[in-house]
Amino acid sequence: MSAPLPPLAYPGLPLGPSSLYTPGPGTHLSPSPSSTHIHASLAGRPILLPPSNKTSTLTPSTNNKATKPTPSPNNRGGAISVPSILPSATHARPTSKNISNKNVLPEVGSVVLARVLRVRGRGVDVGILVVYDKPIEGGPGGGKEGKDGGNAGWGEGNVCGEEWQGVIRREDVRATERDGVVCAEGFRVGDVVRGVVISLGDQSNYYLTTGKNELGVVMAKSEAGNTMVPISWREFRDPVTGATESRKVAKPF
Amino acid sequence: MPLPPSIYHLSSSHLRLDGRRWNELRRLTAQISTQASADGSSYLEMGNTKVLCTVTGPSEGKGGGRRGDEDSMSVDVRVNVAGFAGMDRKRVGRGDRRITELQNTISSAFSSTLFTHLYPHSTISLQIHILSLDGSLLAASLNAATLALIDAGVPMRDYLVACTAGLTPPSGRGDGDDMDPLLDLNGSEETEVPFLTVGTGGAGGGDVGGGGGWV
Repeated sequence: MSAPLPPLAYPGLPLGPSSLYTPGPGTHLSPSPSSTHIHASLAGRPILLPPSNKTSTLTPSTNNKATKPTPSPNNRGGAISVPSILPSATHARPTSKNISNKNVLPEVGSVVLARVLRVRGRGVDVGILVVYDKPIEGGPGGGKEGKDGGNAGWGEGNVCGEEWQGVIRREDVRATERDGVVCAEGFRVGDVVRGVVISLGDQSNYYLTTGKNELGVVMAKSEAGNTMVPISWREFRDPVTGATESRKVAKPF
Repeated sequence: MPLPPSIYHLSSSHLRLDGRRWNELRRLTAQISTQASADGSSYLEMGNTKVLCTVTGPSEGKGGGRRGDEDSMSVDVRVNVAGFAGMDRKRVGRGDRRITELQNTISSAFSSTLFTHLYPHSTISLQIHILSLDGSLLAASLNAATLALIDAGVPMRDYLVACTAGLTPPSGRGDGDDMDPLLDLNGSEETEVPFLTVGTGGAGGGDVGGGGGWV
């Protein structure tokens, strides 16, 4: 038996001799060969994992729940771990239940929600924020209309851990009269757009389309800053000022 | 213009200009997780030196592997000295040599402290904002950056702490016995006294490195 684990560890804190324990996640062996201690690499509450083979493992874990220090009557054959009490760098934003730590990747046919970042003459740059579970049926070209009050059956939305870059090219904005599209009449920076991924695109962008009735701008703010309501397939109206602005409007359910 | 040597001559008062003894630190306060939007952040005050540090990443390096070091994370440090930080309002340009050296020193210190090999092809960026400047700039920046990196949960060998130390000039009465070491110099002492900033690891390791500055 060695000294009990400290209740809190910070980077560099010696946790135990490496003769008794093996280092687990969040720990490392001391840099100098003279001392043989296991040191924490993260801030957190160290835990002793149950012995697996013949050694104990000390690991700082990055899990918030398993942070109770486990007293070990027999630490022959266990591991020490330091779970981080602080959000780790890669899982830092617990804002929504739907947020997933695994990176949500859009695929061809995925219905996504995206925010307009820039409107250019040849297309619209967007950041993809939410990817729905089920791809739209029949691919980007077909697909069924939403019948019930739900979301037309494309499943649960998953919030992306980081924003993915996407672009709606000018010819993908609407299905008809594709040559006459003026991007500035369909979108404004800050709009939230529902779109479908039509291709993984080039190196940096997913290509999206809004070329269906239920695709297009779902949320928009007016120049005055008020949230607008859709009044036709190509117009939103500011309920406060009464001004209308043109958008590629997504069909409301 | 040097202050009268008697100010440093401790045998008379044993106190420095700001009332500290030779081995006393200034008031030190620190907070972590001050910025919700950053991966890690900290706010540190060492006396009147006030530093805000935010950490972003590790994330995929900008420019997609343009950097030479592919096997390990690169540490990108930006130091921003606010125009109102000093006694007189002035703009510190981006290309300031002092700031560039500061950035390089901090970057190399953390490159050897963090487990950079765990994050290949990525960059971690530290933004250090100097809100108020009263000496020990490098030390305060390193300390704030350490806190922010711990907050961000980036694995590191050891925590890195730094402090400045200086030596008062001889009073001119000959023997040099009246030269006194000073700990944690403030701004006015820093302009008068040769000093050195020492960074070190905590209990688990030895010296990590030192950077210096002198008049």
